[in-house]
Amino acid sequence: MATTTERPTVIRQDGKEKVTGSGRYTADLTLPGQLHARFRYADHPRARIIRIDTTKARAVPGVLAVLTHEDVPDVLYGQMVKDRRLFAKEEVRYEADVVAAVAALTEEQAERAAGLIEVEYEPLLPLTDPEQALADDAPLIHERWASYEGDDTMGREGNVLGHSTIVKGDAAAALEQADVVVRSRYVADGAHGVPIEPRAVLAQWQGDRVTIWSSSQTPFPARSGVAHCLQIPESNVRVIVPLLGGGFGAKCDFHYEAHVAALARAAGRPVKLVFSRREEFVAPDHRRESIVVELETGARKDGTLVARRGRLVLDGGAYCGEGGFFAQLAAMHACGPYRIDTVDVDAKLVYTNNQPSGSIRAPTAPQTCWAVEQHMDEVAAALDMDPVELRRRTLIREGDESATRQVFGPLGMLETLERATEMIGYGAELPADEAIGVACGWWPSFGSESGAYVKLNGDGTGTIVTGAQENGSGAVMGLPLIAAEVLGMKPEDFSVLYQDTDAGPWDMGSSGSQTTFNNGRAVSAAAGEVRDKLLELAAEQLEIDPLDLELVDGMVRGRGAPQKAVSIADLAGSGATIIGKGSGVVPENPACAPDSGCVGRLGMESFLEPQLITHAVHVKVDRGTGVVRVLRVAAAHDCGTILNPIGAEGQVLGGVVMGIGQALSEGMQLDAMGRQLNPHLLDYKLVTAADAPRIEVGWVQTPAVNGGPNGAKGIGEPPCVATPGAIANAIARAIGTRVRRLPMTPERVWEAAAS
Amino acid sequence: MSASLVVATSLEEAARQLAEGARPIAGGTDLVVGARQGKAPLPERLVAIHRLDGLRGVDEVDGSVRLGALVTHARLAADPVVRARLTALADAAAIVGSHATRAQGTIGGNLMNASPAMETGGPLLCFGAAVTLRSASGTRTLTVDELLAGLGVTTAEPDELLESVTVPLPAAGTGSCYARLEYRRQMEIAVVGATAVLSLDDGGRVSRARVAMTALAPTIRRVIGAEEALIGTDAGPDAIRAAADAVAEAATPISDVRASAGYRRAMAAVIAQRAIEAAAARARGGGDAVPCPASPALHGGLSS
Repeated sequence: MATTTERPTVIRQDGKEKVTGSGRYTADLTLPGQLHARFRYADHPRARIIRIDTTKARAVPGVLAVLTHEDVPDVLYGQMVKDRRLFAKEEVRYEADVVAAVAALTEEQAERAAGLIEVEYEPLLPLTDPEQALADDAPLIHERWASYEGDDTMGREGNVLGHSTIVKGDAAAALEQADVVVRSRYVADGAHGVPIEPRAVLAQWQGDRVTIWSSSQTPFPARSGVAHCLQIPESNVRVIVPLLGGGFGAKCDFHYEAHVAALARAAGRPVKLVFSRREEFVAPDHRRESIVVELETGARKDGTLVARRGRLVLDGGAYCGEGGFFAQLAAMHACGPYRIDTVDVDAKLVYTNNQPSGSIRAPTAPQTCWAVEQHMDEVAAALDMDPVELRRRTLIREGDESATRQVFGPLGMLETLERATEMIGYGAELPADEAIGVACGWWPSFGSESGAYVKLNGDGTGTIVTGAQENGSGAVMGLPLIAAEVLGMKPEDFSVLYQDTDAGPWDMGSSGSQTTFNNGRAVSAAAGEVRDKLLELAAEQLEIDPLDLELVDGMVRGRGAPQKAVSIADLAGSGATIIGKGSGVVPENPACAPDSGCVGRLGMESFLEPQLITHAVHVKVDRGTGVVRVLRVAAAHDCGTILNPIGAEGQVLGGVVMGIGQALSEGMQLDAMGRQLNPHLLDYKLVTAADAPRIEVGWVQTPAVNGGPNGAKGIGEPPCVATPGAIANAIARAIGTRVRRLPMTPERVWEAAAS
Repeated sequence: MSASLVVATSLEEAARQLAEGARPIAGGTDLVVGARQGKAPLPERLVAIHRLDGLRGVDEVDGSVRLGALVTHARLAADPVVRARLTALADAAAIVGSHATRAQGTIGGNLMNASPAMETGGPLLCFGAAVTLRSASGTRTLTVDELLAGLGVTTAEPDELLESVTVPLPAAGTGSCYARLEYRRQMEIAVVGATAVLSLDDGGRVSRARVAMTALAPTIRRVIGAEEALIGTDAGPDAIRAAADAVAEAATPISDVRASAGYRRAMAAVIAQRAIEAAAARARGGGDAVPCPASPALHGGLSS
């Protein structure tokens, strides 16, 4: 593993309990008198509800509550568009819409009662193809879409949930002047997040207050959702997240906390919900959106990209959730980290009767990058130019202007290309069935409000109280490193209190690769306040000006006079209240063109401190069967300053392996009625440890000017962006033809090779 | 959930329980997983046989290897006699499910589950294996061919327990291989599989051939046309291709989430060809010709 950083490494505090099995996840919790919840799901992916009768279910022995839409406040909810209810009322819009819920003494009773709920439907033909949903005569997935409360800038219109364009110059005219023009169409199937822990929720009321233990990546949005849906104040809702068994974005947003809280209130007992693997697979936001990507690029003989036109259609599924910004993100990825003279990109996010799409690790990016990077190789072929050379000539540099006229600050995009191709040995002679492919990509940093407290204990240790959520990535586990650096203490001196909405300040949650970027800044600021307090106390005691003091090895001491010192433990043990709070200043997005024909601006029209990526992969293709083995991956990233090498490298290793799955085997399959055919781990094929190749990581550390602590950017999502594109280019080089559908399964590779 | 579970301490007790309507459970890798997936509920009465140590042995007896019903896939894959003389069976046992499945799942359970995708079925069929079934009224012997009756169906009576599997050791000069199409390296299930057992005479000619296909029909089946295409030849490329084509022709594949029928049929020929080539290489060149298990090495061809 190559690394260029000299910072200390932090072994995560939650590691041992997770590895030894002593850790407690939500499903492991049991409260006295607890009931078990079961849902009754839609019987059809699209149907009108005529009648719901719960009489028989209520009569089942052991059943203490049965709820439908009649039993909860009649409100719509949704982070970006309020387009759904806790329980379907007039219509069901996808196969896992919840129609009713049951709480009973045993799981079997709950299951039986849920099955006895009678629902009469008028089945309707489901609309599962997003391109068909765009047709003028397509039925509306949401007949009342126009009345929904939602973000006005999304460009909603009928089945179009989000619309985004990027227009720079006159692309049509530029294409006419180009030496070569390449047109491509690529289709990416839906994929899944697949956290190993299926979601679980446990709710208990005490008076008017409810405590909810939930496997959520975003406890504060979950709390807001409960308060809104049950029409109670947020101060009456406390969301606690026990250890989280992965999320990958599938556990963002607010989902089932209010269902379970409502059941617990109706039953007068704690209620627990634990999902089966199948339920997890069909749950909202567990899916990465399918995308159709059509690209047209004009280039000059020297490689100059004179024009890029793009048309993208994304499957948003039945409800918006927090994913209303996908059209804009996809449009930005259709441009990629390249210098392109003129741009005309149009992306539409469309309602269908499919599972709602969520922010699965770098939403829209791996699929769009897979299409764009194959397309770039096609442009290189048309120019008779080496594909790495074409990228070398066209990747963004400091001072360049983006498609939306953002001017880039210092960045190491080109260096990631050179680094990755050097690590993989690009250009070396290989056997006929092996090849190397390269792909480049990018991902924005997200600035957000975030807060933390730091307090010192009497023995000189400290506690960080944060609103940040740990999803398994280790981001929260790395926060002690930041506090320790400010205070001259050791990372292991700190405990962390987190994942409790009554404790830490508001945080958007574990999404957008933002925890270190924003909460790291907050912890740094909070520790700074503690530092000031310590210096003040020590100055008094040592009779030295605070400016002449420093914090080193748990001591406050005179600069140049280390014998004049007092320990932090002595200062903290004196009884003085030593607490710091912080949030820091949220970095603002860079300026970009105020009006260049762009619609659908949701804050991603410029990329704050972009994280830059080049992956190079070495594959072996079995032409007889189409089976592709990834032998080696070289992953070079400019994610700014690396704060915790072991954590950052872990993110790249995991992201690369996830990317291999997206590339080769992970695809959602639907029947004609829009039901998932492979919602289980036997036929939704994740990559196993045995398939993992050798992965080399190279860091290009261009400190972020307008970024996170010490010049850091994010790292959670970028590692899965470029892997599918690099594998696709390697396959194309090995078999001499392109696979234009994702995932590139053995059958698809074999078909392409045979054609 | 199951209403009762009796842990048998003797074969007689197990047989008695079966006679009273109980169903047997050993490793549970099919029964329990199937129940959780909703394929079939757990039987009301179960008799656990995992403490019957007499069913655990791998013994060489009179030119045969006798496998107790409780022999795990991991044990089979590691056994030196199985690896050397019944290599196709080791190829198969070594790639069933995951490490955990192989440590837990048994040969008896695998056979009685009668899945057309089971890895060990093809090798047992081609080696001419027989099973001993025990009931309260005694024992009887069937060939594996006679045992497997259809998708998830055997000719065993409900009160019969599979006690052992007897596999005749083939003559010297025999090589065998089980190969499977693998989308990934662990946790895989056969989409297409093929077994070949070839015996060569002193002149290098095929004196005996057995070829079977897995997951290409409702049961695992021998392909006589493929065997006939090989017998009397020197197992050269033309003969092997003809045999492989015969397998593809005999296949009755379906289209489902794992593959289309067309791809399965095409892969039937590819995988059969590789299994036959590997069996021939092993027959000619001894143990080192193709590593065991063969499947991972065969993706991309024999050369690598």
